[in-house]
Amino acid sequence: MNRRIKRIDELAQDIPPPRDLWQGISAAIEADKAAAAAPAQKQSGRRSFWMPAAGLAASVLLVALGVYIGQIIGNKRGPLDRGVAQTVPAPRNENTPELRHAKYTNQREELLREVNAKLATMPPADRAKVAASLETLSKSIKDIEAALGHDPANALLQELLVSSSQEEMRALIAVRDSGREEI
Amino acid sequence: MTKPDTVVEFDVALIERARRGDSKAFERLYREHVGRVHGLCLRMTRNPDLAADCAQDAFIKAWKALPKFEARASFSTWLHRIAVNTVLEKRRGSSNNEIAVEDPTAYEEPTMVLDTPVEEEELEAAIESLPQGARDALVLCGVYGYEHSEAASMLGIAVGTCKAQLHRARGLLKERLERGVR
Repeated sequence: MNRRIKRIDELAQDIPPPRDLWQGISAAIEADKAAAAAPAQKQSGRRSFWMPAAGLAASVLLVALGVYIGQIIGNKRGPLDRGVAQTVPAPRNENTPELRHAKYTNQREELLREVNAKLATMPPADRAKVAASLETLSKSIKDIEAALGHDPANALLQELLVSSSQEEMRALIAVRDSGREEI
Repeated sequence: MTKPDTVVEFDVALIERARRGDSKAFERLYREHVGRVHGLCLRMTRNPDLAADCAQDAFIKAWKALPKFEARASFSTWLHRIAVNTVLEKRRGSSNNEIAVEDPTAYEEPTMVLDTPVEEEELEAAIESLPQGARDALVLCGVYGYEHSEAASMLGIAVGTCKAQLHRARGLLKERLERGVR
């Protein structure tokens, strides 16, 4: 029932949004965390043959994030927890010319192969940490998927897709080159 | 371990956890504050989709800016400031600009009382119909209880302008509601 009021400050201050905004916020937070961790891993390359596990995990988080978002946009589904070795890139539905898209996809596929080979040679402890990070990411990715499912035109998620794709390529290169920085 | 016994202390504990990267703690803060942040965005934008986007962006910005948050400040006011900034940024892309009203001598009591009661919906509709500048001042001062200095700072305008806008809002509400507004 519509109540009658006399004072402006009697109006409700609390008006819940029509949808839960947390999914989009959570996705942005995870991307922010991963992006913040990525530069640290680049700087640590000279200190040891393997990058510190945390930095490497952050790189892989970005990789998996990009892969999964690609799957979402490309309408190809597959659970992330199958592992990095099976994160075969899905065709992306980007608003770029066909040729450019094909070139990008090829470069990405090749990078992924190299990264997967690199991961296979990692010490078990590092691999375990990377796997744990992937599990964390898997949850946030499900949030992104759910958010996109409810709101496919969400500009923030679309923006996240673009920036994550760019970050993904940088991270792939960083992981691939991780052992080469040793002097 | 000390158990927080007030909402404020609880907020402080959550803020501290969130600052250390605990997104679960930040989610709790989000759940607690989203209604007020969204309400403010909705009243300023008059557009439900845009308001939801602004509220979402405001929380993302808040997460990124958490290290700069000073614990002695009000988290709610800080969030509102970010939300107002977000709305203003979105507006800059639109053509809905207004000429600022500058009257440093104007004095307006932030609270507003109607001579006779009015239905809430009618009042909301009247507020919604106000010009942007007047509506902003009314929403921040009248509905959310900010002082002119705080509202002016959030909106990036002079205190005199804020007072003048509130004066304008009062006059327009009086006309539209056909009631006295004190």
